[in-house]
This record gives sequence, structure tokens and C-alpha cells, in this order.
Amino acid sequence: MDARAPETIDAVELEIIKASLDGIVQEMQNSLFRTGYSTIVRESQDASCALLDARGDVIAQHVVLPLHIGSFPACCAAVLRAYDDIEEGDAYLINHPYEGGSPHAPDMCVLTPAFYKGALVGFCASIAHKGDIGGPVPGSCSGQAKETFNEGLHLPAVRYQRALKGMNEIDRIIAANSRTPELVLGDIRGQLGCARLGEQRLRELLDKVGAPVALASFERLMTLAERRMRAAISEWRDGRYEAERFVDDDGVRLNHPVRIHLVVEKHGDNISFDFSGSDDQAVGPANIRPPLVRAAIAYCLIALVDPHIFINSGLMRAFDVITREGSIMNPRFPAPVNTYNPTVHATVEAVFAALADIAPGKARADSCGSRSIIIGGRGGRAGQGYVQYEILGGGGGARAGQDGASGTSVNQSNAKIAPVEIIESEFPTRLLRFELIQDSGGAGATRGGLGIRREYLNLDDARFSIRSTKHVIAPNGAAGGGKGRTGDIIVNPDREGEKRLPTRYADYPLKKGDGFRLDTPGGGGLGDAFARDPALVEQDVNEGYVSVEAAARDYGVALNSVGRGFRVDLEATAKLRAARA
Amino acid sequence: MARFRLTVDTGGTFSDFVYVNEATGAISVAKVPSTPDDPSRAILAGVELLIEQGVAPADIAYVCHGTTVGTNALLEGKGVRTGLIVTKGFRGIYEVAEQSRPHGPTIFDIGYTRPTMLAPPSRTGEAEERVAFDGEVLTPLNEVALRRTIRDLAAQDMKSIAVCYLFSFLAPQHERRTREIIAEEAPDVEVSLSSDIVPLIREYYRLSTTVINAYLQPILARYIDNLDARLKNAGVTTPQKYIMQSNGGMSTFAETAKKAVATVLSGPAGGIVASVRAAQTSGFPNLITFDMGGTSCDVALIKDGAATISNRGKVEGRDVALPMIDINTVSAGGGTLAGVDRFGELIVGPQSAGAQPGPACYGRGGKRPTITDCNLVLGYLSPDNFLGGKMTLDTSAAHEAVETEIARPLKMETSAAAEGVVRIINVKMEEAIKAISTMRGHDLRDFMLLAFGGAGPLHACRMAAELGMKGVLVPLHPGVYSAMGLVMSDVKHDYLRSKLTAISKASEAEVNAAFAELEKQARADLAREDFADKSIRIEYALDMRYAGQGYEMTIPCAVPLAPGDLKKLRANFDEEHCKSFGHTAPDEPVEIVSWRLRGVGLVPPVQLPVYAPTGAPLEKAVRATRKARFDGVDIECPVYQREGLDVGVSFTGPALIDQLDCTTVMPPGFCARVDTHKNLVITMGAA
Repeated sequence: MDARAPETIDAVELEIIKASLDGIVQEMQNSLFRTGYSTIVRESQDASCALLDARGDVIAQHVVLPLHIGSFPACCAAVLRAYDDIEEGDAYLINHPYEGGSPHAPDMCVLTPAFYKGALVGFCASIAHKGDIGGPVPGSCSGQAKETFNEGLHLPAVRYQRALKGMNEIDRIIAANSRTPELVLGDIRGQLGCARLGEQRLRELLDKVGAPVALASFERLMTLAERRMRAAISEWRDGRYEAERFVDDDGVRLNHPVRIHLVVEKHGDNISFDFSGSDDQAVGPANIRPPLVRAAIAYCLIALVDPHIFINSGLMRAFDVITREGSIMNPRFPAPVNTYNPTVHATVEAVFAALADIAPGKARADSCGSRSIIIGGRGGRAGQGYVQYEILGGGGGARAGQDGASGTSVNQSNAKIAPVEIIESEFPTRLLRFELIQDSGGAGATRGGLGIRREYLNLDDARFSIRSTKHVIAPNGAAGGGKGRTGDIIVNPDREGEKRLPTRYADYPLKKGDGFRLDTPGGGGLGDAFARDPALVEQDVNEGYVSVEAAARDYGVALNSVGRGFRVDLEATAKLRAARA
Repeated sequence: MARFRLTVDTGGTFSDFVYVNEATGAISVAKVPSTPDDPSRAILAGVELLIEQGVAPADIAYVCHGTTVGTNALLEGKGVRTGLIVTKGFRGIYEVAEQSRPHGPTIFDIGYTRPTMLAPPSRTGEAEERVAFDGEVLTPLNEVALRRTIRDLAAQDMKSIAVCYLFSFLAPQHERRTREIIAEEAPDVEVSLSSDIVPLIREYYRLSTTVINAYLQPILARYIDNLDARLKNAGVTTPQKYIMQSNGGMSTFAETAKKAVATVLSGPAGGIVASVRAAQTSGFPNLITFDMGGTSCDVALIKDGAATISNRGKVEGRDVALPMIDINTVSAGGGTLAGVDRFGELIVGPQSAGAQPGPACYGRGGKRPTITDCNLVLGYLSPDNFLGGKMTLDTSAAHEAVETEIARPLKMETSAAAEGVVRIINVKMEEAIKAISTMRGHDLRDFMLLAFGGAGPLHACRMAAELGMKGVLVPLHPGVYSAMGLVMSDVKHDYLRSKLTAISKASEAEVNAAFAELEKQARADLAREDFADKSIRIEYALDMRYAGQGYEMTIPCAVPLAPGDLKKLRANFDEEHCKSFGHTAPDEPVEIVSWRLRGVGLVPPVQLPVYAPTGAPLEKAVRATRKARFDGVDIECPVYQREGLDVGVSFTGPALIDQLDCTTVMPPGFCARVDTHKNLVITMGAA
């Protein structure tokens, strides 16, 4: 379809179209959340929606999960490669990390082409995490996977509907492979509904402003996004910056940290991110595909430049990325990828670290990363197979002038915590404890946030998997701040049969009556802890965030017990602080 | 002897009053400057205004008040010192909250911080107790330890304590026993139990709501006491004294004092209640309410004469799980700023010029153009009729701001720039309307846009046309519309109960029994408030979901259910689900999550006056002509004085209708008539 030259679009028209696009993706997103079938989509909101143009670039995305900005174009490209007979009323599925851009197989992308007066004008898409898409372990994410073939059912780009009619075969294939077919198919139905809604709204927009103006505006919005990003970059100091981060292990080769290495070169309004120095591809599932690397960089740049920037693929044109084929950042098929999040967190933290000197005032210590636990069994409350899936955060890194947040999702992940009362009502599990961990935040002039402790009792035999990070390598402090406490996973803590599991572990058999304790990491501290205002340390102690011992040891602040709480002992504090200096 | 109704809606700047003579139906309105340090002073001033007109205080038979006392205390962090008691081992519920950050830009914002905890860990105690998902007591309440915990909290000068235990919505006995023990150990401390405030599944939302209540309740109780005393001193002795709640119903002074959290959206609720009445009396049962003020715009949907209620919401980032009128708010008001950034993009909002410096045309030093400035440049506003002539607007300042900041950088004509800005803000507000209407399966062609607030009627016609709506309704008193709503509400109390129940395994008798229990409570409460049986209406609904789905839909039902009714309800659920979300799963199991019952105490309705034509000719209402800009063309338009428009007259646009505190803009192609309630009914096309 003909488009006007993008630069001829007037400013008013452009803003009207932008506001409309915002409305459309918001509407798609609300529809998906409200109709999301599984706990994951509804309660954890592990899903996002986007509008793409006919080439598969993201025109607008409602940001729920920033990584998906890299995934959508890659998924759409796969559909465009596979089909030359795309028609109105079609729908496509893809969850293949190599063919498309899904971070891992459970992230199912549903795409529908949007037609206007017979011409393809774009795509409406959503990606939503599925509780189980088959494979050796419930939840489909085996920490011990050595090939993608161990990571569940992979659909390359496949046609799922034609003329608005379902391909029953594909539903049956999915149903035959998933442990929770009704949830997976229910979520896909929700995704399809939201894509069809997007198509309708897009058509209405084109009716209103005219297709040529609309299509030119989409392009113009991408150009503007790129220009905004480049303008900010051009104001940063030129130079070469380097950073590295480590992931505990890849799940297969234990005790072998995985290195992410980054060189940033910045000249004028050009910036490149070279990850060639990162480790070779991992045997275990710690690898990530290039669309995720790009998305991780975009996440950091948006955070540093302007969190309110209009999100589209134009942002991705403002920087270059180099990844070495055969490395952890660009593995060769069929290297496993299911536990991508630890590597992405490390990537995000490497990028922030490399840019710390360039964008002052936005310094930040490392955070807890994210983790999921999966408990699967056959005896759910309703007697059917079940997969209990939870995503947990922990302590956020300390920030300039602000302590890190406690018990929070961080970086690119943003899952809600599953309510205890919902978990216990749906699954044979009981929680024994849910609290923050004292002294888990890294010490600093500003303190890292605290990690979470959750303790569970299993009421039935089940299989347990965890995909975590930073159980071995603690979150770094910044500018002299202390490290955050590492995370931990212990089966049957403080009793017979106590056993520590590795950071990522799949399919541990839990017996009825077994329990486990999950500690999530605290955030790193920022700046010299001995320079922290003693009044703030006093408050931390009184709130239980820091122990009296840690206050003296890590902050050089002595406290006396007064009544119910503690007060700073100024004299003793001065001594402690002087002793170190 | 005439009886009067007096209502007052306290706003940030003005307290709006409506007085109704119940015998004649005559309505008068007034605005009194608000007294934020003690809002009851302004209220008394408004009472005096009525008394000065010769009304005996004893004849004021009904008082209803929309208050922001609770909301403001929450926003400003001025609640009381609050403690919290949770199930042992579960402090994390409040500290972790939802764990996630709000969607959108916040995810990228390294500096984002959650709202502070109203009861920090140092003021949180733990109770040894535990109830399982099915209500079974796993650990009995350790009362000895609890007494120590309570004494400890009380010693920290706590004024109020919130109690929230796991699964207390199923088995409230531990919370209730805790209240008894607090009464013994710390008799002066107020107590809020989660099983009283909001007995619903999902512990964090229940806890958050309960803590907010504990934090606000003593403040609101004191305020209401004080107000009550002042009213009594002034001779206003009627027992019919009410406060508007977030759910669009009223509650007595005494009941409100116990459940402060139910008032956090009291302010905008009045306008919606008035709109509901308009939907019932205007012949237009389907309305979108459009309340545009200085900084924000509230929209809500009314279908078949009833407002949409949502069961959970956020107030300033805090979670409140109580029924509240479903209002969608966007940052779009008269003070919203427009400008061109260095990339040549025309940015409209969300920043606002606020009250200081305000729009450029206010002449208080504002140099950046706002929506109000654009409306003035376009000739929509009259420079000398703003706030009924109490304030003069500086047209040249507005013109200069728009020209310098927008027109010149974009190489546009000034009027074209102003028109562009208005179009952009309109689209943003239209999106907010779509989000609550088309997105939920409603067809806007069946709806009228009901415009009120200072700026609503300025923008309404164009927006209604863009949205393909039926037309626009501008009520007689758009500037005091919330206070109008307070004249015509009923008392509404919500009762809840959660229990995950597979509908296939439930029996009608079981559902009836659960409702019967709630109904008993509702009837008892309303009887205590002097409602006779015939003045009580009970509404029943079930929250249902597909098993495993995280979201419930509220499906109304008629109780008692007869055999087979659960099947029908399930079908209703499928149908509603399909209507709202475009898909359905009739083969999947459905669960009942919660029982909802609303007890309505019917207040005798006030008869809104029906006016007869006086025969005043239309020409007499024309007070001037003014040049206004429509689609790039300046047109000399008649300016009507709203108060002079007789019932039954009709006229066509372009036209401007000025009244005390607002202006209605009618572009060419629209046609208006005045109905018997003196509403302005504007439609597209010829008369």
C-alpha cells in the first residue's frame, strides 16, 4: 500500500496517530490480561502485546516485558519467511528461539496479519508465557537441558487459523504435548482475541486518517525514536568502555561461572556493543539469542535516556551489536536456551556498568536477578495434572541517593508475586514463611534492597525445578558499596535430608512432607557504607533490615538498645569509623 | 412546612452546595471557598447561606457530603500512627506487595520507589495462628503471645491496628478474637479486621485495604464527629446525614466512621450518581460521563441506567480491594501544557501548569500554552465570562504563548496550532473513553456523552462526533454536578464472602445459604439505620472465573436460586465473558470465587423539577456574538446565555453557550434543544 513520504506528515496528525497507537496496544494488553487463562498470564502478567508494520518492525508496544521488543520482529520475520500466501483472517503461532525470537519455548507468540482494503499493512501480536509446553520437566525449562530438544514442543512459524477458522490439528498437537493443555490453549485463545481486537482497531485508525498518512506516520515515529536516542547518545562522552559480569553456572557444568564480556565504543551519535569476548556457548541452558541481547541493550538505553520514550523498533536502529557466533550471546542450534533470564540480567548489569561513567547520576548497583520455581504433579486440588509456577524477585541494587527496593522485580523482569491464598487453594502446597531477609542488602552509602525468603511444605509428591541466579556469585556493589547476599535453595532445611540444590536444577523429586526454603539475593550497595548517615542505619536496624552486628561491622555504626528499639551511640560510632580510616 | 435537602461536595478550591426544596422541587446552587484546614467550616458557611434565606435549621431534613478528607490524608501521609498484626512468618505480604512495578515507563525508571508502608515493620507484630485453604485451623491462636505483641504495639503509641491473617475471609475467628484481646489490652486503640473490611481471597489486596482503613479511620471518625457537632449546634438535627462512598452509595455518618477506606473515591462518585439519574430521566439510558477539570479528566460508563463498578483499584499507587465506581482518569485538563520539542514533535501533556502559574491567559506569569489558552485563542472561551465574569482572561497572552511555543516552531498559523493541540488532547480523552467502552464490548453509537466539569462541555461535541456517539448531554449545573449527585443517592453497603467453589460441585441450596447469611447481616445493618423492610433492596452477584484463571467477572443473579439456575448462571458467565473479551470456553470448568451482596437503603427520591416553557424567544438568550474557529475557518457565532434558554427551544451550531462556570461549544453541523429538565441535548445533523 502506498505511503506518503514520512517527512510530509504534519505534527498534529502524527501526535493523533501516536495517541491512537498507544490506545490500541493498551487495549490489546488489557484484553489479554483480563482474559489470560493461566495464573502466569493473569497473576504474574508474563505477557506483552505489540503492533508491527508489514515488514515486521514494532510500531508500538505496551511495555510489560521489555525483552519482547526484540522478540516480536524476529517472530514476525519467521512468519514472513515461511509463508508467501498470508491472507486476511490468518493467524500464526511460533515459539521457536532459533526460527523466531521467543526467549524460550514456553513464550508463545501469536501473530495475525492486519489487512486494509486488501493489502497487508501490519501485524498484531502478543507473546505470553505458557505454564507447560512439554519436554522432560513440568514447566518445560530444564536446568539440565543440553539441547533445545530437551526444552519442550517447538513450533516454527505455523499457520493456526485461516479465514478466522482454527486449525484443529495444531491444538491437538499442543494438547498432546503439554501437561496443562487446557491452560495453554486457553491462553492462546486469549492471545488470539487480543490480536483480532488489534486488527479491528488498526483498521479503524486507517479509516479515520487514511492509510497513506497512517503508514507514513508509523515510519516517522520510528525515525523520531531513533533520532531521540541518537541525540542523547551524542551528548555522552566518547570513548571505549568495558565491563564483565558472571552467571553462577550453566546448569550442566556446575562450579563453572559463565562470563559475559562487553566493550562499548561510543563516537558521536554512534554506539556499539561488542560481546565477542563473552564465553563460548554453554552446554547448559544459559545461552541467549541475539534478539534478547538487543532487547537488553535497548532496555538500558531507554532507562538512561528517557523512560517515557515512545517504544518502537526505531530505538533498535540507534545502536550496533556484535555477538560472536558460537558464543553464549549467539549460540548455534540446537544449544539450549531455556534459562535465559540470568544471562539477560548479567547482560543488563554489564551494560549499566559499562555506561556508568557516561551517564552520571544514574549509577546503580547490581540487583537480585529473577527466578522461577516450578512444582508439578498429578494430584492438583481438582484431581488433574498441575504446574505451579512462580516468579520471584528480591533486592534491587542501591541507587544514587536512594536505597534499593526490597522484595521487588528488577531490570527487564516484572512479574507479580503469586498470592499465598491462591497458591494454597489451587495446589497441594503450604507456605510456612514469606518475609524479607535481614542483612541481605549490600552495605553502602545507599543500601541494597532486601531479598525474599519463602518456605514451602509439600502436601503431596511432586517434581521441583528452579531456575535462579546469584546463588554463588553475589550481586555487585558499585562505587565502593558492598555486595548483596547471595540466594539459596535448600530442600528440607534444618532437618534430616537437608540438601542444597544448585542455582538451576530440574526435576528434583519432592516427597509428600518434604519442604524447601528459597532465599532470593539482596541488591548491591552503592558508595562507602561508612559514609552512610548513622540516622539511616539506626532506622534500618529498628525496622529490622540491618542487624546490630552488621551495623557495626559493615557501617561502623554502634547502637545501644533503648527501650524497644536502638539508638546510635555517636561516640562509639566515631571510634568505629575512625578505626577504619 | 418545606423540608430541604442540603448537599455539599468539598473540592480543593470550592465547596459546592446544592439545596433542594422537597415540596416544590426547586433547586439552587452555591459555591463557597473551601477551608482545607477544617473543611467543616466551609460546610457550615454553606448551611448558613440556606438559613439566611429563611429556612429553619430543623427543616433541613437531609444532608449528604462528598468528602476528600480521607483521600487527602492518604495522599499527604497524614493518617494516624498505625500498627499491623499478621500471621506469624508472613510479614513479606505487605513488604513485597505485588512485587512488580507498574507497567509502562516505570519499568525503565531506575529511580522508581513504591509508596511508603503505612505500617512499617517496626510497628508490625506477628500472631501465632494458621488457617488452611479450606478453613481448617492448623495452628490455634496463641493468645498469650498475642497479648505480649499487642502490649508491645500499644506501648509504641499506636492509635490504630490493622489485623490481617491468612484465610481469614474463610475463618474469621482468629481475627475476631484478636479484636477482643486488643480491646482488653489496649482499649483506646482502634481496630480494623481484614475479615470485616474486605473478606476476599488474595491476602495482599485484603491487607492493603485494611491497613489503609486503619490509617484513615480515626481521622475520618474525628472529622465526622466534629462536623456532626457543628451541624447540631447550627440546629441541623436530622438523623439523615450521609457521606458519599467510592461505590456510588451513601453511608450514614456513623457507619462511614467505621469504614473510612470506602470513601477514598468519594469525590468523583457524586458526579456519577447524578449521571445515573440523568440516564434514568433524560431518555438516554446509556451515557459516557466526561468530567474534565483543570488537570485531569474522569470518564465512566453508564449502561441501561447503571454505572460500572470495579472490584479493585489503586489510589495513588495503593491497592484498594473495595467496590468503586469504575472511573478512568487521564491527565488532560484545561491546565495541560502543550509545546514543541527539539525534534519538532508537538507534545501535549501530561504535564500541567497547575494552579500556579496556570494557563498563560490567567496572567499569573505562565508563559507556556495550555489547553485553556488554545480554547481562548479559538474563540471558544469568552475572555470576560470566565467563572461567571469573576475572572478576566488575557487573550493576547494566550495568543502569544501559542504562537511562540507552537505555531512558529512548526511554521503553522496560530489558530491552526491551537486547533491542532485541541484535536490531540481530544484524541487522548477519546482513547480513555474507548478503554472503558468499545474495549469492553459496548457500541458507542448507543451512548450519549454527558459533559460536565469546568472544561467538559468545551470539548464534548467534537469528541462525541469522532467517537461516533449519539450526541452530547450538558446538564443544567455542570459546575456543581457532584453535589447534585449527592441529592439523589441511596444508602449502599457491600457484603462479601470468598470461597473457591467449582460450580459443577455446588448446589443452588449452598449458594442460597451463603447469600442468606450475608443478607441477614445487610438487613440488620439497614434496620439499625432506620430503613423499613419495604425501603430495602438487596442485590446479589457472584464473582466467577474459569478454573485457574486469575480474574473474576461479577455476574448478577436473582436469589433464591431455583434448581437449574447455576447452569443458567454459568451460561450467563460464558456470554458475559464473550461480550467483554471476544472469546469463551463453554467446556472449561467454572468456579465461584466470591459472593457479593449489596444492601440498598432506598432514600425517597427527590423529584427533579420538570420545567414548562415560558415562551421566551430564543433571540432573548443571545447575549453577543463571538468569532470562533472551526476546521480552519473563523465563524461569527451567536453566544447564548444558558440561563436564558427556554425549555423546548432548539438551535443549530455553530454556537457558543455561556453559563456561570462553563461554556459549551457547538461546532457547525450540530443541533441543540433544551429538554424539560433544562438539559442541553446536542445531536449531529439537523434539528
